[in-house]
Amino acid sequence: MNRKKGDKGFESPRPYKLTHQVVCINNINFQRKSVVGYVELTIFPTVANLNRIKLNSKQCRIYRVRVNDLEAAFIYNDPTLEVCHHESKQRNLNYFSNAYAAAVSAVDPDAGNGELCIKVPSELWKHVDELKVLKVHINFSLDQPKGGLHFVVPDMEGNMAERGAHVFSCGYQNSTRFWFPCVDSYSELCTWKLEYTVDAAMVAVSNGDLVETVYTHDMRKKTFHYMLTIPTAASNISLAIGPFEILVDPYMHEVTHFCLPQLLPLLKHTTSYLHEVFEFYEEILTCRYPYSCFKTVFIDEAYVEVAAYASMSIFSTNLLHSAMIIDETPLTRRCLAQALAQQFFGCFISRMSWSDEWVLKGISGYIYGLWMKKTFGVNEYRHWIKQELDQIVAYELKTGGVLLHPIFGGGKEKDNPASHLHFSIKHPHTLSWEYYTMFQCKAHLVMRLIENRISMEFMLQVFNKLLSLASTASSQKFQSHMWSQMLVSTSGFLKSISNVSGKDIQPLIKQWVDQSGVVKFYGSFAFNRKRNVLELEIKQDYTSPGTQKYVGPLKVTVQELDGSFNHTLQIEENSLKHDIPCHSKSRRNKKKKIPLMNGEEVDMDLSAMDADSPLLWIRIDPDMSVLRKVEFEQSDFMWQYQLRYERDVVAQEEAILALEKFPTPASRLALTDILEQEQCFYRVRMLACFCLAKIANSMVSTWTGPPAMKSLFTRMFCCKTCPNIVKTNNFMNFQSYFLQKTMPVAMALLRDVHNLCPKEVLMFILDLIKYNDNRKNKFSDNYYRAELIDALANSVTPAVSVNNEVRTLDNLNPDVRLILEEITRFLNMEKLLPSYRHTITVSCLKAIRVLQKNGHVPSDPALFKSYAEYGHFVDVRIAALEAVVDYTKVDRSYEELQWLLSMVQNDPVPYIRHKILDMLTKNPPFTKNMDSPLCNEALVDQLWKLMNSGTSHDWRLRCGAVDLYFTLFGLSRPSCLPLPELGLVLNLKEKKAVLNPTIIPESVANNQEPVISSNNHGQSVGFQNTFSNSQEEEEIDMDTVHDSQAFIYHHLNMLERPSTPGKEQSAGEINMHPVSAAPLSVFSKESNSSKHSDHHHHHHHEHKKKKKKHKHKHKHKHKHDTKEKEKDPFVFSNSPASARSIRSPSLSD
Amino acid sequence: GSKQAGTPADNYQLARRRTLQVVVSSLLTEAGFESAEKAAVETLTEMIQSYISEIGRSAKSYCEHTARTQPTLSDIVVTLVEMGFNVETLPAYAKRSQRMVITAPPVTNQPVTPKALTAGQNKPHPPHIPGHFPEFPDPHTYIKTPVSENNIFISFLILRKCKEKEMHPNPEPAKCLISVTLPLISEGRNFSQLPDLLCLPFSLLPVIAARPFTVPYLTALLPSELEMQQMEETDSSEQDEQTDTENLPLHMST
Repeated sequence: MNRKKGDKGFESPRPYKLTHQVVCINNINFQRKSVVGYVELTIFPTVANLNRIKLNSKQCRIYRVRVNDLEAAFIYNDPTLEVCHHESKQRNLNYFSNAYAAAVSAVDPDAGNGELCIKVPSELWKHVDELKVLKVHINFSLDQPKGGLHFVVPDMEGNMAERGAHVFSCGYQNSTRFWFPCVDSYSELCTWKLEYTVDAAMVAVSNGDLVETVYTHDMRKKTFHYMLTIPTAASNISLAIGPFEILVDPYMHEVTHFCLPQLLPLLKHTTSYLHEVFEFYEEILTCRYPYSCFKTVFIDEAYVEVAAYASMSIFSTNLLHSAMIIDETPLTRRCLAQALAQQFFGCFISRMSWSDEWVLKGISGYIYGLWMKKTFGVNEYRHWIKQELDQIVAYELKTGGVLLHPIFGGGKEKDNPASHLHFSIKHPHTLSWEYYTMFQCKAHLVMRLIENRISMEFMLQVFNKLLSLASTASSQKFQSHMWSQMLVSTSGFLKSISNVSGKDIQPLIKQWVDQSGVVKFYGSFAFNRKRNVLELEIKQDYTSPGTQKYVGPLKVTVQELDGSFNHTLQIEENSLKHDIPCHSKSRRNKKKKIPLMNGEEVDMDLSAMDADSPLLWIRIDPDMSVLRKVEFEQSDFMWQYQLRYERDVVAQEEAILALEKFPTPASRLALTDILEQEQCFYRVRMLACFCLAKIANSMVSTWTGPPAMKSLFTRMFCCKTCPNIVKTNNFMNFQSYFLQKTMPVAMALLRDVHNLCPKEVLMFILDLIKYNDNRKNKFSDNYYRAELIDALANSVTPAVSVNNEVRTLDNLNPDVRLILEEITRFLNMEKLLPSYRHTITVSCLKAIRVLQKNGHVPSDPALFKSYAEYGHFVDVRIAALEAVVDYTKVDRSYEELQWLLSMVQNDPVPYIRHKILDMLTKNPPFTKNMDSPLCNEALVDQLWKLMNSGTSHDWRLRCGAVDLYFTLFGLSRPSCLPLPELGLVLNLKEKKAVLNPTIIPESVANNQEPVISSNNHGQSVGFQNTFSNSQEEEEIDMDTVHDSQAFIYHHLNMLERPSTPGKEQSAGEINMHPVSAAPLSVFSKESNSSKHSDHHHHHHHEHKKKKKKHKHKHKHKHKHDTKEKEKDPFVFSNSPASARSIRSPSLSD
Repeated sequence: GSKQAGTPADNYQLARRRTLQVVVSSLLTEAGFESAEKAAVETLTEMIQSYISEIGRSAKSYCEHTARTQPTLSDIVVTLVEMGFNVETLPAYAKRSQRMVITAPPVTNQPVTPKALTAGQNKPHPPHIPGHFPEFPDPHTYIKTPVSENNIFISFLILRKCKEKEMHPNPEPAKCLISVTLPLISEGRNFSQLPDLLCLPFSLLPVIAARPFTVPYLTALLPSELEMQQMEETDSSEQDEQTDTENLPLHMST
């Protein structure tokens, strides 16, 4: 959707409007993991000659389709099942990505496409011409779904309810088509009636209000009837069925929480906070929660931690915690708040098209940020913003940019806004998961930039306006055309910003939304004493990938002796130097206190500073109002002053990072002071610990006194009389708890002159473990103990290898032996008394891998593999898998790589499958420029198969496989493959003719059709045996890509073009006639199974191949036997018409 | 006793005593009494109870005297003879015509003496000990266990066995294991014979093998019994500090 179009309001890509949908699932079988049901869609045609209805459906077996009670023919065709059909030896990622994007858009509901194409029975055509209502009734079933619905069925005694078996819907973006036929778009809103018949012991939770539950006559089953009267997109429909325990929120009775058996006490505690989040959002948005009820469901084996759907959210059960757990509490609350923010923006307000996604993610992320600020304080909020900023900056610099609002004009390759990426950003389903995460992160940061520009008040007014428009629209029950008010678009959003605030934010939008990339500043300064001027030089790097040029205002804050001053510089094209006049003279009044930014006045010891300069420190863009990375040079004492006296946590953190480069006693003192200062933000103090460790290591030869932090820790947490014995744990003060956890971990990073961890430190940590006593503590110490193990792991240094002797316990380094003993003890103790989320096991596994990697114990993946099995807690599995991934890399083990890849294909938990690919991508066994024994043809084939057809049930997994393939082999043909042999074809001249359909928009492409056929006509057949150089190889790849795209487009166009009998085509369309008529011949009841449609598809494909052979120029001599040619002589004889007619599948039947 | 309910043991006694009262009353009726004073019936009941108890006690002595555990008929006969009862008259008396049938005492559960937690497999009797002799006590009561790291695993295995047998594991053993800090390392011993142990890096450090759970999230999320107990303790000891509702203790049924 481009913006001008959007101004006119929403234009549906479909020739009909959906108003109501019934989903009825009458049977769910947990044993067989199958679902049987039907859907009924009420649609109003918007064009008179509607004769085909396209819907989305994947995996479902469709038995029968009726339109207004008349049997209707349909075809089911899903090109994403297998992206590249040729069993060619292409194996080229460029080729794949193009084909995949083409396949996804071929069924994209936002382009009016779908996998399921239903023919309106001819008896109804008259009815349709009067634009009267159609009811489409589809019976379907699902058997062992691999995506969309996830069954969790524990293998134990008892019936399904006793076993805690449950099922829930899941997926990435619009994935509802995986479990029932629908218009799987965020822009097609309708009202819903949802019915689920389940075992009497089970509970079905779904969207909207539970109208009634009815027992079946034999009392063994119950039917749950849900009604959702607020128009909602199919993609926001969800379901969870299980033997849930139910808790009505004691504060808000319209909110209900569900969890798995035995977890009710945890649920009570975890959700006790939710009402405050509700109150917060309702207050800032001055808008009531739009739905009449809200349900939270906590399930096992979650696809993502938080998934928001209309009036309900599905959470991972692992977010539940008891009152004893400190660390998980803020994390879980954040997840709850995130889910709730998405209820307003994302579920209630939906989006017009994929390119408007950033608005929804941005607003929900932004209001979530406001909640963070209110709940955890400004420090935490600023820390979080800085963290998110750093993340997006790092990602964009690495990959070359994240584009929030992609505009796709005409589909020209040259305009591809994301040519630097190995995937298409046209569709959510082709995005790499990491890109999407970063996309969301950037979206909310940009919202914050808009807030900076127009003020928070206006921002909230805009949100309120969007919400009130939507709620007015949603109450118009019978005016479905009004419902598009509930969809947000980029242009609509920007328009209401300019209406509300009267400000022009177009430059800001252009910079951050319509364009990808971040800004990279390099700053340095000099003080001109004579003029009393600060000469600031700010350079930009806008040539590296992922960067862009910034022109506009930039705030600089200068702390001088007389106070803190803000300056706004204009960053322009060629101005690098900026003169900033100073307010104070360098002569200083010793008695005087120094005023800070926040009005506070403090005493400072100014002896460290340069006597000639009044400058204490300088900050560039202190408010983070540009998405940027700043590398600023100032002297060490300035960083030290900034750390000690600047009150902004971001400035303090920046100073700490900068001080790493200045290992001096002054830095040490500044850091120690911060560590001890209790008013200081705990995260800054934690960061200071690690910096102190680094500085101490750099200063190792001159370091005096006990190891860094030891005396501090002793003073804070140990007994007065016996300093090596730690006090009984008391975690009432969370700040000191976090510090107590972190300090040993940082201390263990200390190294002596021999680059070993000092014995004193190790013994100290071991004593902490030994004397740890949690009896009187009201909180669990599992995270603390886990971090003590992390500390042990941190103390490990590489083993001095003694000529490959067999390692036994006796010749083990005594320190390492102590560590190993502790780890073993902890690991065994976990079996008896498991810790919350098995944090201790996780740390132990990580520590064992560290010992292996450092050569203290033999590298062996057996232990990790046993912990990675299905049936362990997910955190433990991930830790174990991470170790196996690392082992695969270090030991170049083909066997383990195969083991991992088979798990990617077979593990029951989708999150684990995704995570393995993710970890392999982040820590790859080899990369494209590396020679590795692992890189072989079989692996290429295996991965290719995985992304081509093995992962069609899970968008996220497929994109993960693509990422891995990219990391391992790059964009072009993997180097380990032999040169392709027989069967591939090259024709440069031909390429041009074939290219066209993909480049030119569809309507033009149609006209292009005769060109192709006439070309074909004039050519004779040709084959090429081998390729002589790699350049040619590239060419071929592109050729086939476009071919396949053309094929897919073409295939879809056939179905798309309405060809109502009676009013036949115009002269210009005359070529298309046989084509569009062709699929009709297979429209029949028999063609219903997906198997059949595959078959159908296959024919197409074969014909395509033949056509291709046919058009090859006789440039190269071919060895191909003539048999095949003889098989289908009509290919030749039928020319020129053959180019079209052979595409008709009916001919082959 | 109008007391409604006492311990199971009390109930048991009461039921039996009531039956004896019925017996005495019927004997009195048989002897031609129309009514009797309550005190007299009580006294007679007391007497008949003592008499029966004495028969039982003596019979037991006779049987133990002859090195048996179960009294036989002959023991009873000897007892009765010793007590001056003419045994020959008994069959005729039992078959008398005016005999009244008395219902058996109501079935109340014999009070069970709580069985101690059995740990481990009791040793079977060696061939020379007859089967009727009592079983060996639990192994831990007589086996000498020198302190070594083996024990912790053996105890663990025992504990796990208990769990598998669906016995409610007593939290005590677990607690003991924690309080005893045993050195875990031994030199060059092989643990491979213990099936549940997987050997970490070297075959020297025994690690309990990782066993998948059927429902992994339960153990991971629920506080352990020990923690629950601890929490209750700290809560009771720090009740004055407990003001916020968020930190209310969890009450769970396991």
